[in-house]
Amino acid sequence: MFDPYYRQPMTQPEGSGRRPVEVRGLVKRYGRVNAVDRVDLTVESGDVYGFLGPNGAGKTTTLRMLLGLIHRDDGSIRVFGRDPAADPVTALAGVAGFIEEPRLYPYLSGRANLELLAALDLGGAGRKEIDEILELVELGDRAGDKVGEYSQGMRQRLGLASCLIRRPRLLANGVDPAGIRFLRALLRRLAGEGMTILLSSHLLAEVQEVCNRVAVIDHGRIVHEGALADLETGGSYRLQATDIARAVDALEPLDAVAGLRRELDELTFTLGGDEDTVELTRALADTGVGIRALVREQTTLEDLFFRLTESDADLREAEAAIA
Amino acid sequence: MSSEAYRAGGLAATRTGSLRDSLAAVGGSYYWELRKLVAQKRSWIGLAAAAIVELVFLISIEISKVTPNDGPYADPMGQGLRHSGLALTPVVLKEIAYFGPAIIAALVAGDIVANEDGGGTLKTILVRSVRRGEILAAKALALFTYVIVALVVFAVTGIVAGTIAWGFHPLANISGTRISAALALALTFAAIAVYAVPTIAIASFGLFLSVVTRQSVAAVVGTIFYALALEGLAALPAIKGARPYILVTQLHAWHGPFQTPTNWTIIGHAIWISVLFAAPPLIVAWIVFRRRDVAS
Ligand SMILES: Nc1ncnc2c1ncn2[C@@H]1O[C@H](COP(=O)(O)OP(=O)(O)OP(=O)(O)O)[C@@H](O)[C@H]1O
Ligand SMILES: [Mg+2]
Repeated sequence: MFDPYYRQPMTQPEGSGRRPVEVRGLVKRYGRVNAVDRVDLTVESGDVYGFLGPNGAGKTTTLRMLLGLIHRDDGSIRVFGRDPAADPVTALAGVAGFIEEPRLYPYLSGRANLELLAALDLGGAGRKEIDEILELVELGDRAGDKVGEYSQGMRQRLGLASCLIRRPRLLANGVDPAGIRFLRALLRRLAGEGMTILLSSHLLAEVQEVCNRVAVIDHGRIVHEGALADLETGGSYRLQATDIARAVDALEPLDAVAGLRRELDELTFTLGGDEDTVELTRALADTGVGIRALVREQTTLEDLFFRLTESDADLREAEAAIA
Repeated sequence: MSSEAYRAGGLAATRTGSLRDSLAAVGGSYYWELRKLVAQKRSWIGLAAAAIVELVFLISIEISKVTPNDGPYADPMGQGLRHSGLALTPVVLKEIAYFGPAIIAALVAGDIVANEDGGGTLKTILVRSVRRGEILAAKALALFTYVIVALVVFAVTGIVAGTIAWGFHPLANISGTRISAALALALTFAAIAVYAVPTIAIASFGLFLSVVTRQSVAAVVGTIFYALALEGLAALPAIKGARPYILVTQLHAWHGPFQTPTNWTIIGHAIWISVLFAAPPLIVAWIVFRRRDVAS
């Protein structure tokens, strides 16, 4: 099946060895399921990178391979130029993260959990630094309590603290709803300080606000990768013109215009990209129609997400279910 | 609030491959493995069981009507019961030899890796800077430490309770030689040390099951079953000749220090048989743990 969004693995550009994340042709199979299917990801230094996809898309599986927790079947992974499968400890020296929700020891206090992990960092954070980070995630007064008694949101914050004590250059996290509101402000700040952040989530609206780049994965395949700005181009437009009827005649023949509809004195339609407006304005001008207003509707990542992941097969399935 | 605290930088030094780094990594992890054991209820249940079994025997001997040469009196050093508190621990050791250590070792051994697999904390610690093999080594050391501590708790409880009940008096050792109370006290700890060796081998099998089954309950039950199966094997008349080479037989080597002269032969034999039994599960656990997927 032809998949217009699937991109061939790129050849590595020169001097790319130090990129926080470079994944090429990554494959993980579980029996017949291709959980991850020829995935390419490139996270540049300073990115806040959203790794998005619906349930079961392969986000967690990808992250597990990135953190050296499971084997891959094919492809390559480089984290700051090193392969986490070959030598996880060295490759992940500048990396902290957790997969899905953070898992900490419920029978130890929040502070003890951080002390334990700092000890496992070998030369990790000291007591003072741990106290500061506990304050930062607003757990200072609960640090002595057992983690088993924490709320989900508190656990999420402690999870973030457990990453920060490692002073990572790359933070690779799953995000769940409980912690996101708190995370957002902090993540922005961390990114401002030069930390590269990779967020995996199916919560589009939440991640959208913090990410500058995204990759959308579905059924193990990357269906879109790029700057968020690229995604915001195209989508739905509204047009008000001096003569609506003639505007319809002018636009109907254009390939770039799809889903043309007339609503009272307005036209709505979609364009593939902002550059298509050139053709559109020319066609209107040629027919002698003046533009009163041409407005692009805000595309949310949500719209995009459904546009990208709602495959024909899914639609047929849905139709079959209704019939 | 200072932003220094979380300034991105990556860990200053990446590890070298030196042995010193490795030992430091194992040492640091070992300390925290012990702290985890201390924080878990299960560990305390094991220690409490080790202490209680002595008290239960003491009370039952006190209130029972068994006559000398009968029941526990026929056990090694059983003649000293009611005459010297130092007889209690050897007698109880004889009575529980087969299942006691298996249960206590299994309780912690079966859980030590599987618990973290199930709770998802394994993946939390595996993405730090300590290698998998080092984590497993630290866990094994903490487990062995626990086994030794449990046996010491057992011995100390027996000595203290026995002494309170029957006094700190000389008694006859297994060969019938009269030994002073002080010597008996020292020899009790020597016997416990010998007893710890096969117990650690059983715990090693528990660690192996904990790694490969990833399920705490399965590993705990499996370890107890392993000890019982070995006992069954040792009892088979058909393989009588193999008996000295089965692990559970070594659970009697603690007699060595209580014999005159000290029976170094059974002690040495117990040590090398235990090592032979402990090595394969530990090696397989190490290989599996270093390679396997951690997806929970
Ligand atoms: N250990 C496993 N054994 C078998 N199949 C697995 C395993 N782990 C993941 N899969 C399968 O791989 C696919 C991708 O799963 P994955 O957990 O990576 O999705 P996800 O994008 O993280 O989804 P979610 O948003 O629900 O967390 C799914 O079809 C899942 O059933
Ligand atoms: Mg997931």
